[in-house]
Amino acid sequence: MRVLVTGATTPLGLRLVEALLDTPAVERVLAVAAEDDPRNLPIGIPALTYRAVDLTRPRSVHDLLFGPARELGIDAVVHNALHRSARHDGRRVHALNVEATRQLLLECERHPTIRRFVLRSAAEVYAVRPLEPNLIDEDQPLELDPAAPQWVRDRVEADLTACSRMGMSRLAIVVLRCAEVLAPGMGSQLWDYVQSRVCLRPLGFDPMINVLSFDDCVDAIVLALASHGQGVFNIPGADTLPLRRIVAAFGRRDVPVPGPLLAPLYQLRTWTVGFEFRYDLNLQRFHFGGVVDGTRAQRELGYRAHHRLAWPAGRRDLTAPASPS
Amino acid sequence: MRHERRPPSVPSFHDEGHGYDVFGLRPAVMRRVERLWRPIYDHYFRVRSQGHDHIPAHGAAILVANHGGALPVDAFLLCLDVLRHTARTPRPIVERFIPLVPFINTLFARIGAVTGTRANVARLLERGELIAIWPEGVTGMAKPFRQRYQLQDWRVGHAELAIRHRAPIVPAAVIGAEESWPVVTRVRGFHGFGAPFLPVPLSPLPLPVQHRIRYGAPIELHRDFPPDAADDPAVVAAAAARIRAAVEALIADERAARRGRRA
Repeated sequence: MRVLVTGATTPLGLRLVEALLDTPAVERVLAVAAEDDPRNLPIGIPALTYRAVDLTRPRSVHDLLFGPARELGIDAVVHNALHRSARHDGRRVHALNVEATRQLLLECERHPTIRRFVLRSAAEVYAVRPLEPNLIDEDQPLELDPAAPQWVRDRVEADLTACSRMGMSRLAIVVLRCAEVLAPGMGSQLWDYVQSRVCLRPLGFDPMINVLSFDDCVDAIVLALASHGQGVFNIPGADTLPLRRIVAAFGRRDVPVPGPLLAPLYQLRTWTVGFEFRYDLNLQRFHFGGVVDGTRAQRELGYRAHHRLAWPAGRRDLTAPASPS
Repeated sequence: MRHERRPPSVPSFHDEGHGYDVFGLRPAVMRRVERLWRPIYDHYFRVRSQGHDHIPAHGAAILVANHGGALPVDAFLLCLDVLRHTARTPRPIVERFIPLVPFINTLFARIGAVTGTRANVARLLERGELIAIWPEGVTGMAKPFRQRYQLQDWRVGHAELAIRHRAPIVPAAVIGAEESWPVVTRVRGFHGFGAPFLPVPLSPLPLPVQHRIRYGAPIELHRDFPPDAADDPAVVAAAAARIRAAVEALIADERAARRGRRA
């Protein structure tokens, strides 16, 4: 198998590239990211090739796929490049999150060697509502509220773009809706939330939250590459616990606050201190929780979450190599 | 007949690794609540129950009971009774507005309650859990005192689930709730936290009326119908009517027994 990985210099991308290089069935990895200098990638390894590509430019995507990817005989693509900062929005962010996904898919469909496309999507695409089940399977409604923040809308649009291409060509498409990877550099809202010494949460609510480890996320992608089918799969992590316990595990102070006060308080904090955490992104989740159901991934991909995060002493396990954003 | 009481255990508990299941059940909290309610159960409501042997010792099963009183004290007592007399952890299926109610949503989740969505209930049955359903829902609670022990709107979802998941249904009757906390009226314009109405009870707290619980013989709908029959509305409606009749018969028997005791 010859695999192209986008977002290769992100914490997850680095681990994925390393895992693929350790996989006997993988002959070649073409790592792609925006940075000219991929300091953390093991560039010296012959099986690894790196290319700096701006995926927001359709020409660059085309040239990547019909240049180095064709030369290397790439047969599978893992699209892992998403803008991670929740504070940024606008056209350029949308171009990376959505347009790049669409362009990659369209080019892959007519590519001579690529036969498999794996999109790392996110569980944030699901609408979390009080009337929805606690366990979210792949058929649950997506967050299609036009008032939702761009961070969410982009993820939903990228996900649906991939879903809508399934069965349209000989390209097999797998969409992995991964639970939140609770780690730095991953765009994890929860990670940013627990960076504060005092964590405010809605008074009277303590929802169940599921988080994913790097290792399980990498396992899921590798299994998706090795499988033969296509479809949408939820990828839950091995840790499901109440929000209050997550706060406690990080040694933070948990302060319940009446719900209506939380949005202005966190907005004020964003203006003054500049944290990444956005309460509007997490409002529903901090009230009603929702845990992605991995039954389909277990049945069809053979995925099962094995790697629990080390709480709380194992912060090292949560810490990923630094990477340019 | 009173069965010997055993300490509550949680054999069907699926720990997700941190002492909680995926729905938020926390056995330690459940035990604490059980201890807190023990004197209320024993001395205030003086619960007498019989027929626990009808509750399957393991595997998926559905407990179906009548509902009454201003707030679901009867449901609480029924679950407590199952917990104290059997080795099962009942998973009460609660109204869909409960997740909106601060504090209550968390307390209910910690003691095993699950919001009544099809996916939630199906998952519990797939896991072999004992679920408790009150098919009347809120229409059973807060009904006028003159309609006490008359079953109200009877939803059919429990019958469909029983057929589809091949789970026996254990009918149950709870007697005492209607007299314990009768409702004077309901404020229909109140929809706080999504509630359909606000019940106005006769007294601020439930009266110390003795509660009697009787469990009936399991009804195994899956022996009469294949799983596909769960898609047939006529079959499901007939099966639900059969369960309703069983609960009505238990209510009548238990009320007669209560009258006999008084006489």
